[in-house]
Amino acid sequence: MGTRYRSILANSWSLLTFLLVVFITFTSATSSKSASSTGDSVVVILDPAKKADYSIFLEELQAKGYTVTIRAPKDEKPLLIEDGVPNFSHVVFLASETKSFSKDINPQTLVELLSSGTNLVLTLGLKQNLLTSLAPEFSLLLPPPTTPLVSFFPERPEPPSVIPISVDTTSTPNDSFSVLSSDVGGSIWFSGTAFALSSNPLLFPILHAPAESFVGDLSDASGLVSDALADAAEKGGEGLWAGSSLAVVAGFQTLVGGGTGHGTDAGSGLEQQARVAWVGGASLFSDEFAKKQIVEKVHQERGMKVVGNASGNKQAALDITGWAFQERGVLRIDDVSHHKLNESGAVEMYTTNDEIVYTVHISSYNPSTRKWEPSSGLKDLQVDFTMLDPYVRTALLPVRGKPGAYSTTFRAPDQHGVFKFVINYKRKGFTHLHHTMTVPVVPPRHDGYPRFLSAAWPYYAGAISTSIGFLLFCTLYLAGEAKEEKKTKKE
Amino acid sequence: MPTAYPLPTNVSPATVANTASLLRIVAFGLISAAAIASRLFAVINFESIIHEFDPWFNYRATRVLAAKGFYEFWNWFDPTAWYPLGRVVGGTIYPGLMATSGVIYNFLHYFNLPVDIRNICVLLAPGFSALTAWATYMFTAELKDPSAGLLAAAFIGIVPGYISRSVAGSYDNEAIAIFLLMFTFYCWIKALKLGSAFFGTLAAVFYFYMVAAWGGYAFITNMIPVHALVLLLMGRFSGRLYVAYSSWFRFVGFQPVRTSEHMGALGVFGLLQIVAFASLVRSHVSSKQFQNLLAISVVTMGVLGAGAFVVMTYKGWIAPWTGRFYSLWDTGYAKKYIPIIASVSEHQPTAWPSFFMDLQMLIFLFPAGVVMCFRDLRDEHVFVIIYAVVASYFAGVMVRLMLTLTPVVCVSAAVAFSTLLDTYIDPTEPEATTTEAPTAAPTTTTTTATATPDSKKIKKAVAAAQAGNSASSIASSTFNDIVSATTRKGKSSKSKGIWGADARLAVLLNAIGMLAFFVFHCTWVTSNAYSSPSVVLASTNSDGSQHIIDDYREAYYWLRQNTPQDAVVMSWWDYGYQIAGMADRPTLVDNNTWNNTHIATVGKAMSSPEEIAYPILRKHDVDYVLIIFGGLLGYSGDDINKFLWMVRIAQGVWPDEIQEPNYFTPTGEYRVDDRASDAMKNSLMYKMSYYRFAELYGNQNAVDRVRNQAIPKVGPTLDYLDEAFTSENWIVRIYQVRKEDPLGRDLKSANAFEQGKKKKRSKPVSKRRVIVN
Repeated sequence: MGTRYRSILANSWSLLTFLLVVFITFTSATSSKSASSTGDSVVVILDPAKKADYSIFLEELQAKGYTVTIRAPKDEKPLLIEDGVPNFSHVVFLASETKSFSKDINPQTLVELLSSGTNLVLTLGLKQNLLTSLAPEFSLLLPPPTTPLVSFFPERPEPPSVIPISVDTTSTPNDSFSVLSSDVGGSIWFSGTAFALSSNPLLFPILHAPAESFVGDLSDASGLVSDALADAAEKGGEGLWAGSSLAVVAGFQTLVGGGTGHGTDAGSGLEQQARVAWVGGASLFSDEFAKKQIVEKVHQERGMKVVGNASGNKQAALDITGWAFQERGVLRIDDVSHHKLNESGAVEMYTTNDEIVYTVHISSYNPSTRKWEPSSGLKDLQVDFTMLDPYVRTALLPVRGKPGAYSTTFRAPDQHGVFKFVINYKRKGFTHLHHTMTVPVVPPRHDGYPRFLSAAWPYYAGAISTSIGFLLFCTLYLAGEAKEEKKTKKE
Repeated sequence: MPTAYPLPTNVSPATVANTASLLRIVAFGLISAAAIASRLFAVINFESIIHEFDPWFNYRATRVLAAKGFYEFWNWFDPTAWYPLGRVVGGTIYPGLMATSGVIYNFLHYFNLPVDIRNICVLLAPGFSALTAWATYMFTAELKDPSAGLLAAAFIGIVPGYISRSVAGSYDNEAIAIFLLMFTFYCWIKALKLGSAFFGTLAAVFYFYMVAAWGGYAFITNMIPVHALVLLLMGRFSGRLYVAYSSWFRFVGFQPVRTSEHMGALGVFGLLQIVAFASLVRSHVSSKQFQNLLAISVVTMGVLGAGAFVVMTYKGWIAPWTGRFYSLWDTGYAKKYIPIIASVSEHQPTAWPSFFMDLQMLIFLFPAGVVMCFRDLRDEHVFVIIYAVVASYFAGVMVRLMLTLTPVVCVSAAVAFSTLLDTYIDPTEPEATTTEAPTAAPTTTTTTATATPDSKKIKKAVAAAQAGNSASSIASSTFNDIVSATTRKGKSSKSKGIWGADARLAVLLNAIGMLAFFVFHCTWVTSNAYSSPSVVLASTNSDGSQHIIDDYREAYYWLRQNTPQDAVVMSWWDYGYQIAGMADRPTLVDNNTWNNTHIATVGKAMSSPEEIAYPILRKHDVDYVLIIFGGLLGYSGDDINKFLWMVRIAQGVWPDEIQEPNYFTPTGEYRVDDRASDAMKNSLMYKMSYYRFAELYGNQNAVDRVRNQAIPKVGPTLDYLDEAFTSENWIVRIYQVRKEDPLGRDLKSANAFEQGKKKKRSKPVSKRRVIVN
């Protein structure tokens, strides 16, 4: 008996400790120390020998509250995914020139990390490595290996593969999020490869290559006077990787919560939405470029003047990682409610032609206060009322006086069935908002139809005349019987 | 008075009547007990469970009714059926069955008998079969005498043709409909006999109940008018007919004016009014010419009415005939135009052996009984004759209409059999004129012992006597000449008869032997063929013991326990009601096949390759796909065997995308092995059925035991679905539909990437060199 009790006691103890651990991890996950909305832990895959090259970037990350772990490419530990659960909230891949990695760092793991909600910053190198085979999965088209982006403009002492790229933060379209903030300033240094983006809607460019740049091999070009550019120009530019349609930094948001809002797709999937930043070269994050001045020739009244400005690299690195780590451009749907017009309280089902009020509350994450704040800034939010096809599609407008609330009123279609309220807000750089909620729309109840229709008067008349006729017949029949008997008696 | 065997003489008529009545009650009690008991095989062999497909819906609806009350039931919109269209249940079903169970449930609970609603549903059909036996007894007693009635009751109680639809657990509309049918007919002939408005109204009330209970009410809607019409044509119009018909005739909603099926009743009603008016006029004016004129005008009006009816049908003012109706006349119609109707096995023409299986010796006695009706051609006999002719035709066209034939077969067989028994038990020797003789089975009418010319069993038997002419109690008319002709014939052969007890004994023993065999046959058929719930299958082990195959419930409970409450399950429509009833999950299509397009959509998804099916699945929010696969066990009712129907139905809607011939080999064979066509091998149904099937056999010699074909060693692969569950004997396989790839790739390439295959570059890129300074 004693031993049995003891074992039960031990069991309950272990259960208690387990719960405690779960509780602690849970609280630590929610009360974020860092600016990220999804977690604090960052693993940087980097050769420890090169750690010093990125010290500014790493220090800035730590300053923002992240716990940074450095893992050498060949280290076995710490694992990225342990027992099916990712160990870190964010992964920064700076080992762009490394060719071989330990077993658990492979394209499949990286994709698996994404599907479980881990954010990635991936830097491409000039040599082929695992990212070269991973990039096509994101619809990125890479130029052949060992071909960096080169540009001869503007004239500068640096080699042609080290390019200053001017950052234009003003020309962002309205509906997308500008990843590089205005703090980046004028230009940043870049050295590495560029890539073309195919038509995947989840992928968008963060920083384009300069218009006069192109991708080419410089390694043995010294002796050759080949006019490859001219050749390509004759071919109409075919086969040449050049121009501002190439990107050097691109963002990618994974597609989750694109589900049906019920069954195995229940939940918004927000917690699993991950972001990937693809960067053409790891040097963008380096101390060297962060410190290196951008030398520009400024036209003045009395000829040219050479001005040296601090490069925007430090800020750009923070902006790119900040976006990828879901600090900025993060939205969420707090609450969705719907009810009949002039009534309050949720209903289980609507009747056809009901007036429906649909309201959604949206918050955005503020990295400086590290809190979710109601956001009324979305201009083009819509809701669909769908059964196989959308029956109603209408704009959701911000409600005055209620920050974060968007609402609309519409009439349910004259069609019964199981309808879905669908919010599908996918804008480049912003978190995808996808929310579905099913509600049955039923025909009116048996006593819910209008009574006494004018069109039904023939039926009413028929019923009434039959009743009156029956009464008349009965009275006449009963009254007339006696007479008939008399008649028969007479006969 | 010479008799074949001595009769007790000192018994008073009152004693005889009392004893006979007691015997009848005892016999009837035994018949009811037998009727109920023989339907309990299903419960004893398996358990108290709802059977098959449709009963599962009825059961589910009844639970809603019992839990929420009638008004909520009436307004019940089921959002889980026909997802996402939903189904307006309250207004589109025959609520009679559920209402009946609901009333019984509430009644028992009022008396504090906490009977589970399931048990009420399971045992409703046996209970009503006893009532059917009673209604048949009353009906036959009207036709001949109570002893024939008892025989008919015994027949209907145990005949397999009726048991097939009314075993315990077979909780379907037919369970109560046959009782209502027989009782309505009883009330009708009773009303006709007595000219009673009371029985006419009673017939109307039960007809209304029938309308609420079964779609087959159209049978009554047309039988009674046809009977009235035939009587009219036979010149048997009378006040009784007028009263009976007018009090029966009721509108069923607004349908009589809109659908062709109800037109007949309306037309005959109108005709009766005209004839009644005409006969009124005739009784006042007795001019031959006037009568002719009248006849002509009646005919003209009839022709005009029929013409108007045809025109209106063509113009589409009145609803066109329904597909099921067409398939009643042209058995090939459904196959050509409405594959859904044809795909139901119940709607197939009846095979000959099933007549013998379902009715056994009654099928031999049936024509004899009908002939007996001609001998004694009263109005109700005309009814039985019409009923027999119409029901025989329909039973030959559609298997399920065997059910409407069964009662009339029992009735006329009972008439024939009881006539036989009457003739041979009757102790009167031929020379004597017939007198009222007390017999074991007492007779009430004065007409006794007309013999049956049952050529197969009896050598030669002739009518013994024809004393009372109760038949001629009907208003005499020209058509009664037939009756009088038979009477005269009977009189002329008066001196013929049966002599001695041995001849009687020989025939009677034979007859009793037939009855005994009938009972054995019925019991055997019931216990072996009709008592399987089809949800639970039984097989026999090598040692002879019973082995229960419970895959269906295993799978449905898996769904119930392991999937979210609102997970949508796609399956072929056969299993819709069961999934809704047992797994409690929304389904795309079910056995209420009201939307052809939706079914065709499922058919298309099943018969298309994965990448075409996937968008369809996602559009309909499908989470799981459930299929039935019998290849491992040799269970032939599986989805691969139904697959061609899916293809056909899909082809009906998308003839450009799905073509039936693509699913056959070039030589026109339906194969699942190496030689299967590409369309077949790539179809979702094939892939789901044989996914990992070869692995079970260690990748060699995998054989599909239903089709007896070897399955290829390299089985199909699935990219868009994941195997979620496969039941013990592989009968039910459930697949989960995968979500979209997070990277926006198609799932096929995502899968390839997952397995480490490198993606080909979308563009070949040439290496470029550049000039430096």
